[in-house]
Amino acid sequence: MTRDAATCPAVRQQARCLESSTTETHPTIRPKDEVQQKQLCAFGEYVAEILPRYIQQVQVTCFNELEILIHPDGIIPVLTFLRDHTNAQFKSLADLTAVDVPTRQNRFEIVYNLLSLRFNSRIRVKTYADELTPLDSAVSVHQAANWYEREVWDMFGVFFANHPDLRRILTDYGFEGHPFRKDFPLSGFVEVRYDDEVKRVVAEPLELAQEFRKFDLNSPWETFPAYREAPEPLTIEAGDKKGDVK
Amino acid sequence: MAGLLKKSTGLVGLAVDSNPHESPKMSERMERKHLRILYTKLTAVLQNIPKDAAYRKYTEAMINERLNMVKTEPDVQKLENKINDGQIEEVILQAENELNLARKMAQWKPWEPLIEDPPSDQWKWPV
Repeated sequence: MTRDAATCPAVRQQARCLESSTTETHPTIRPKDEVQQKQLCAFGEYVAEILPRYIQQVQVTCFNELEILIHPDGIIPVLTFLRDHTNAQFKSLADLTAVDVPTRQNRFEIVYNLLSLRFNSRIRVKTYADELTPLDSAVSVHQAANWYEREVWDMFGVFFANHPDLRRILTDYGFEGHPFRKDFPLSGFVEVRYDDEVKRVVAEPLELAQEFRKFDLNSPWETFPAYREAPEPLTIEAGDKKGDVK
Repeated sequence: MAGLLKKSTGLVGLAVDSNPHESPKMSERMERKHLRILYTKLTAVLQNIPKDAAYRKYTEAMINERLNMVKTEPDVQKLENKINDGQIEEVILQAENELNLARKMAQWKPWEPLIEDPPSDQWKWPV
């Protein structure tokens, strides 16, 4: 029994899609939550009013995320306030990371993400540091900061004063360098191999057989079924008048 | 709720704040007494902060409100609903946290103007 390609249900459905793709009614945009935005703005202003000594800027992103940008001396006061104050109660440190922006004077931006279980709300606290100035450790405020600060030290080189145990956490034991910095190359500086003469693993300068190649991110699956056939280019043949295009 | 002793808070590490040897009515008064002591200590610490500091204004307003609620409401369960901040043991813990915070705030003095402005391009995004 032969199955005609044109009558196959999948092909019929695709044909229908092709026909109805001419008019676009509503682009899919995330609906704006005005209430939450107002609440976050109000809370941001409240915190800025209480701690003007350390807070440099307060902003609410379009995705309704409150961010507080502070001076590095204010890490412990601001985090303690957010943890202990009754109207804040951000008892949980969800994340502690750093961002490297080499063009800035203070190239590292340290980000603390806090969660309040009582009020079901999140807040982001950002500070800055350069390669040499140490920051206060947040371990005295949130115990969870311990390994996160070790990771930031290992990957970026930001030193945390008063940390109970600041040592490398992800890199190899004798590794030199801070891998997440923007000036550290993707394939690193050393490669390791087992050397039979000395009977151990040795680290040698990098020698890769191929250069790093970047592929365009073409997906093997079709992304735009409505545009499967390339539109015919408009041609003007010799002898046609201007308004007479096929 | 008078006459019923609470067996546990349901939270790990947070014990029920009562003396099991005393009568239940006495235990209820212990929790409210504990809260009252904490709130009065807090108001005393807040006196060290200048009157125009925002922290003092907001915290004092909140503490006075809660102190009134504690004084007027004898029943612990209704008090918990009024304060609307979880169980009474959690409220006590939070009051202790606020007390520690107030003591530290008196030292840090965060109501003063900004220590140092950031470099002009520090918070610019996209770079």
